[in-house]
Amino acid sequence: MIRVENLNVTFNEGTPLENPVLRGLSLAIPEGQFVTVIGSNGAGKSTLLNVVSGEVSVQKGQVYLGEQEITHWPVHQRASQVARVFQDPLTGTCESLSIEENLALAQARTKTRTLSRAAKKAFRSRFIAKLRTLQLGLENRLTDKIGLLSGGQRQAVSLLMASLQPMKLLLLDEHTAALDPKTAKFILELTDEIIRSEKLTALMVTHSMKQALSVGDRTIMLHQGKLAFDVEGEARSKMGTQDLIELFHKNHSELDDDALLLS
Amino acid sequence: MNSFAFFGALETGFIFALVALAVFISFRILDFPDLTVDGSFPLGAAVAASMIVAGFNPFTATICACLAGAAAGSVTAWLNVKLKILHLLASILTMIALYSINLRIMDGPNKALLGVDTLLSPLDNISAVPYYIAYPIAFGLFTAFILALVIWFLQSEIGLAMRATGANPRMARANGVNTSRMVILGMAISNALVALAGALFAQSQGSADVTMGVGVIVIGLASVIGGEALLSTRTLLKWALACVFGSVLYRMVIALALNGEMFGLKAQDLNLITAVLVTLAIVAPTLKAKTKAKLNTVLNSKTKQAQE
Amino acid sequence: MSIRFSTFALFLLTIFSAGATVHAAPAQKYVAITQIVEHPALDAVRKGVKDVLSEAGWNEGENLKWDYQSAQGATATASQIAKKFAGDNPDVIVAIATPSAQAAVASARNSNIVFSAVTDPVGAKLVKAWDQPSKNVTGVSDLTPIDLHLAFIKEVMPEAKSLGVIYNPGEANSVSLIKLVKQYGPTHGLKIIEAVSPKSADVQTAARSLLGKVDVIYLPTDNTVISAMEGIIKISEKAKIPVFAGDTDSVKRGAVAALGFNYYEVGRQTGVVVKTILNGKSPKDIPVQGIEKTELFVNPKAALRMGLTLNADIISRAKEVIE
Repeated sequence: MIRVENLNVTFNEGTPLENPVLRGLSLAIPEGQFVTVIGSNGAGKSTLLNVVSGEVSVQKGQVYLGEQEITHWPVHQRASQVARVFQDPLTGTCESLSIEENLALAQARTKTRTLSRAAKKAFRSRFIAKLRTLQLGLENRLTDKIGLLSGGQRQAVSLLMASLQPMKLLLLDEHTAALDPKTAKFILELTDEIIRSEKLTALMVTHSMKQALSVGDRTIMLHQGKLAFDVEGEARSKMGTQDLIELFHKNHSELDDDALLLS
Repeated sequence: MNSFAFFGALETGFIFALVALAVFISFRILDFPDLTVDGSFPLGAAVAASMIVAGFNPFTATICACLAGAAAGSVTAWLNVKLKILHLLASILTMIALYSINLRIMDGPNKALLGVDTLLSPLDNISAVPYYIAYPIAFGLFTAFILALVIWFLQSEIGLAMRATGANPRMARANGVNTSRMVILGMAISNALVALAGALFAQSQGSADVTMGVGVIVIGLASVIGGEALLSTRTLLKWALACVFGSVLYRMVIALALNGEMFGLKAQDLNLITAVLVTLAIVAPTLKAKTKAKLNTVLNSKTKQAQE
Repeated sequence: MSIRFSTFALFLLTIFSAGATVHAAPAQKYVAITQIVEHPALDAVRKGVKDVLSEAGWNEGENLKWDYQSAQGATATASQIAKKFAGDNPDVIVAIATPSAQAAVASARNSNIVFSAVTDPVGAKLVKAWDQPSKNVTGVSDLTPIDLHLAFIKEVMPEAKSLGVIYNPGEANSVSLIKLVKQYGPTHGLKIIEAVSPKSADVQTAARSLLGKVDVIYLPTDNTVISAMEGIIKISEKAKIPVFAGDTDSVKRGAVAALGFNYYEVGRQTGVVVKTILNGKSPKDIPVQGIEKTELFVNPKAALRMGLTLNADIISRAKEVIE
């Protein structure tokens, strides 16, 4: 369904700051699979997501959505089939626009925009129903500017926005990292529920091994731009964090990222 | 000030309100500081004046002026989004180029329109209302119409996409917005408005001059910032209205300054007055908040005293 | 919101009270002057007008209300000045330079307007023709007598075949003058070569572009070029190309000669027109005037530096010989 082949991405090529972030990474994700991605800092997790979303271009390699090669498609062109939730709640929503307007913006992700009114009355009932599922009372605050909401609330709305229209792929980029533990748990449960009920194909980057194993069907780990391991199904469901670390050590040297190990 | 000066300030204020709305779109909505306006204002005047003198229908000439402005704005935007030139620089480049282009269009630095039939000629023939009152009323109604059009557009799907482009381009792209196209469209609309203002001003002024654009961006910014300081910007409509008000206010202050006897001020002091006005306008919200906070503290302590 | 509204209300109150509290001092006559920008030539015009009125017995503060406003180069301000004057209803509005004149004619439709220092009043649509002033508009043009200037140059340098001109295409007056130069040039056997200088910093480049192509250079009354004249003089002296000017001040600064006029005299001419209107004549009975007084200024030493010897006959005709 989603396929990347031989991705090579180097930042600052030809300068002293040259940094090969992805080195020949290949990956295929069948439809309906929920994949979690872990790795230490600089492993290439976010870059992988950015390559799939179109924000970063590759020096070598291809990206496929179904049979369609989208390697050179710009972000907005992929957006009709790829939805994304950013790590920073401030990035994912427009502070100066109202909740209703943010939702309307996301609602039009898959359509051609026209001169008709954006915040249509016809959409209201749907927006209210969807906001109600968050149980945050936001359904009564449609016209409030989204800048008035807390980070957690904005992230919840971002998640909702991503799921307003059908998509072939949902990208989640450490989307609970900027939240406090209680809100992070809430958002993660919401994420899992949305992905399961809509049977979405999803790629979730997380910095926590524990989180990576608690949701999803498959976990991959990136290290220095390459695939370190790839587990799914039965074998994965029996694994704990320690097992993942041992799996890593089979082929690699010391893993010294505390945050990854301890969270 | 006398009534001529008052209505004159209204008239000029309403014409330049179109510039204020244009700066509102480029500077506030798209976050694009745009100096092209110093070139597109005389561009609109040049196109309209040259075409009217050449015998074209004034309405057609004014429409063409808008299209010319749109083209100029598109060029600036294209330099920025496609060639990745910094927006301020891109706009300066276009502005400089327009100077030569305007000279070409007018075949000289000045095109006179006095005594020629313009869009405003019908207003001279209303028996009940003298021309110096008819003009500001007409411009006021027209500006109100343009204002409504702008608000309607900004509330449409495309308009919302444009607002997102200026506020958070990364998020806009992730939601399927072609931000490059939005910037070009927004800049085209903005400069079309400025060119329209130039065309109308030339027709009311009696001439188009290649230097008439100098300082237009400052006037636009002063109008926007001044209006924001004095009126609410809570909704789009209120915000745009504030810009229109700012433009009229600016002209009123100039008219006051011309009334030399009052403050000993003369037109020569205008640049200084503009600078002081804009500084006050930028500082006013902070001052207001501080004053409000102080007032609240005083009121609260008085209430506490009353309760004891 | 309430603070904002009360500020707004206070502001409106100020504007209207400003209109109410202003009292004009009792004056016998009221002359309003609108000038596009502060500039030595334009300021000299204004002084000329004032002096003529003073000599006729009208003095500021006594029996003359004199309201002078400069638009600081902004046409929008010139428009507002014109509108203010229209409401103040002076006896005469003096509009100095084309943009201020156009604004005055457009806005002060019922006031008497005397324009000055406008090179092409017909092209600027201030009047239909020089001998057809409109019912409220007349004035004095500073159109250089180009034909006379070129004739004079040919008299001093009969072998000259090509003439170079330097000007700013952004100045309306200069564009009109250059058209005349190109019109009259051939009748005096002169081929005309142009060099443009959009800013005063471009003047020297323009001058250099003429070297080797022209026998003599003529500088019209162009604000940009005149302001940076010294640069041209230096280059011409090195290349031994004589420089003639359209205005007399330039001769002091190094030009060979000028059949000039000075702006103070233009101002005085304008003052006479204003005086006539104050005494009751209507503008429609006063045809537009051109320069009446030309004076020959020569600078023999500068001429020598440029490789030209002025003969005694010409020097004797001069009103002033610069040492």
